[in-house]
Amino acid sequence: MKFRIAKEAFLDGLQQVQHVVSSRTTLPILSNVLIEAGDEGLRLTTTDLDVGVSGTAKAEVSKPGATTLPVKRLVNIIRELPSAEIEVSVDSKNVASIKSGPSFFKIIGLPSGEFPPLANFDDAKEYKIPQAVFRNGLKKTSYAISTDETRYVLNGIFTSFKEGKLTLVATDGRRLAMVDHELEFPSSHEVDFIVPTKAVHELQRLLNTEGEMMLKLSDNQVCFEIGASIIVSKLIEGNYPNYRQVIPGESKERLTLSREQLLETTRRVSLLSSEKSNSVKLTFGQNQVDVMANSPDIGEANETLEVKYEGKEFSIAFNPEFLMAPLKSLEEDEVHLDLIDEMSPGVLRTEDAFLYVLMPMRVTG
Amino acid sequence: MSTQTEGDDERQKDSEENKRVKEIWEKIRSKLSDYISSDAFSRWFKNAELINADQQDGIVGVQSDMHQIWIETNYMEELRAAFAEGAGIHCSPRVVVKGEELELPGEEVKQAARKARPGGQVKVVTPDASAKDVAFERRLKRLGINPELDFESFVVGDNSQFAHAACSAVAHQDGRNFNPLFIHGGAGLGKTHLMSAVAQQLLTENPKAKVVFLTAEHFANEFIEAVRKGNLDAFRKAYRYADAMLIDDIQFLAGKERTQDEFFHTFNSLLNSQTQVILTCDCPAPEIQTLEPRLISRFESGLTVALQPPGFETRVAILRRKMEQWKVELDNNIVVHIANQIKSNVRRLEGALTRVASYSFLSLGNMSIEKVDELLGDLVRDENTNLITVEQIQKAVADYYGLNLSDMTSRRRPARIAFPRQIAMYLSRQITKLSLVDIGEVFGKRDHGTIIHACKKVKADMESNSEVRGSVEKLTASLERQI
Repeated sequence: MKFRIAKEAFLDGLQQVQHVVSSRTTLPILSNVLIEAGDEGLRLTTTDLDVGVSGTAKAEVSKPGATTLPVKRLVNIIRELPSAEIEVSVDSKNVASIKSGPSFFKIIGLPSGEFPPLANFDDAKEYKIPQAVFRNGLKKTSYAISTDETRYVLNGIFTSFKEGKLTLVATDGRRLAMVDHELEFPSSHEVDFIVPTKAVHELQRLLNTEGEMMLKLSDNQVCFEIGASIIVSKLIEGNYPNYRQVIPGESKERLTLSREQLLETTRRVSLLSSEKSNSVKLTFGQNQVDVMANSPDIGEANETLEVKYEGKEFSIAFNPEFLMAPLKSLEEDEVHLDLIDEMSPGVLRTEDAFLYVLMPMRVTG
Repeated sequence: MSTQTEGDDERQKDSEENKRVKEIWEKIRSKLSDYISSDAFSRWFKNAELINADQQDGIVGVQSDMHQIWIETNYMEELRAAFAEGAGIHCSPRVVVKGEELELPGEEVKQAARKARPGGQVKVVTPDASAKDVAFERRLKRLGINPELDFESFVVGDNSQFAHAACSAVAHQDGRNFNPLFIHGGAGLGKTHLMSAVAQQLLTENPKAKVVFLTAEHFANEFIEAVRKGNLDAFRKAYRYADAMLIDDIQFLAGKERTQDEFFHTFNSLLNSQTQVILTCDCPAPEIQTLEPRLISRFESGLTVALQPPGFETRVAILRRKMEQWKVELDNNIVVHIANQIKSNVRRLEGALTRVASYSFLSLGNMSIEKVDELLGDLVRDENTNLITVEQIQKAVADYYGLNLSDMTSRRRPARIAFPRQIAMYLSRQITKLSLVDIGEVFGKRDHGTIIHACKKVKADMESNSEVRGSVEKLTASLERQI
């Protein structure tokens, strides 16, 4: 195998796939990238057996072939090479020679035949989704994924194709984020499944704001085709709990707030929330909201937001990180905050089909 | 569970118990409604039921897993307070999903739960041992458990009988006194196999159980990560709410003080809540270097079982089992030959079989003993390089009895020197493959008759004197660990 490639193109291609490598030392090939050189350039593939990513890079291939090389090491080498042009040749023993300007590297690879192939999606259900829709959906929900491994069904994004809608949900038991989007698909394709966190991260890296992607679903695996790139992932087994039970019904008070203002204010005030209580308190009065935080040993912060509000006076406390997370991921200028009382969950909504349920913190004293 | 077969008295008792639990629940509910908002109360606790209540334990049944998740994350403090204030029960209440519960610690609690819910609505999960379905296997793999390592695939021999029995008792949840269960033994003797088998059995019998299965290295890495990210709390929670915690290769904690500290607390809280803990280690607990004494004593507070290298018959049985599993056939004399050559460890034994089996499969040629020797050449050499030398035995014995190494070869014959020397000769005869003449040579150019006499004497003494037997066993064990 032999090819010439521009440094930037090689680096870009490798960086797309380098995050999916296994930490399992028992299968050294999983820390390698599969490089296949053909007429159309290079195809680069990595997998940790749970998630696999594959992408392309343009190259001048003079001798087609395939090998696998340790990806972390390869990226480090390519990044440091002095010249913009790289020549790579691999011998039959999978030893790769990398030439660039005056420097020369030799690295030992493993045979491509040992590399586990990505799953096959021949008879899979297919869904065409605009990339921007999926990208936005993930952005608005992924921060709420639970990291508690004992509740593994929550370690991913619940993805549902039902009633002409694509619904994405993530929750960790303290908050829940949900996005709906209308989408056309045959009614025989109604289904729901859970995409694990790792695949979600890879998706977020690869998704663009334009174009479409193809989602393919087999029994226990899902495949995302984004341009020439592919992500294949196992699904989380199990049933996602019925998240609709979490969403409060009728709210008593509704406020409309400027998203950026609320975000900035919360960020500033939270500088003085104590590590222990880690909360900011929102106090609603006539046409204003006071955002407050204090830690007994350090001091306190207070900022007032002008809003339209004529409801009853009351206070509610939230974890500032949990309050800011959705605000950061949204793009709308205004958000609605629906509340019942100081002990019931607050609901953040936008005009779009976004919803975020957030449990209040106990206010002591 | 049918109430029809039970007498009227029983039914009466049941309904009284039922009434008592209902009354307690009413008290708790009314407290609870003060603590949380009415919306939250009607959303999460309206249809909840008290399944069991006594001084140590309170179990609340709710209608869905979302209820369980949400209550566990958000309302546990309130629930605990309501149990304490409303009913005077000071406990950490547990929330289970109705109809799927019964991940309860002991039989009497199960009975209590049944009594509290007459009519037998409680679903007890009965494992279907024959068919491990695909989803279950995947779940095992996600937990890091190899589905092939179960009790059925474990070949029990003299070397592992006790360990196997202890593990199987723990797995069937009738061994609450075996906590923690500490399994130790050399590499490739089946520690991980037994522990995986326990984990599988627990999960088969109770699919909802939170079984934590990990290596001590993984535990340490997670701990370091948690310290770095500052989310120790979540780390603690993940492990301390487990129903069973199984940790492989605990010797890895040696020298990691803060991890040991964290582990100590996790370990204690698990033991206090009667959670089953199983540990494996490549040596007995007191021999782990730089492990805190308090941890050592905790490890030894339950049951300690050892896995020894398998005897010849067991090795043959293991090979036969594997052949059955892989559907290969080999001549009996070849199987016996492999079992004779590879003695120290089961993993290596399997490796040897793989080689021979794949060779015979690929070449279709006739297998001969010579061919086997050729195939296993390096494995057998490995076995032999690991063999103990007479010098090592002499040194171990001299150290054990506080003698000089030169005493082993000297002509001096006071009893305090002569007898240890005889033990060393006996051990050399047992452990090494050297001839009597060769052994005599190394022990100060003694006659082979001297060695025969020494072996006979030590053997006789071992039968009549338990102290001698103990010493010899200790020495043998410590020598075997040097491999």
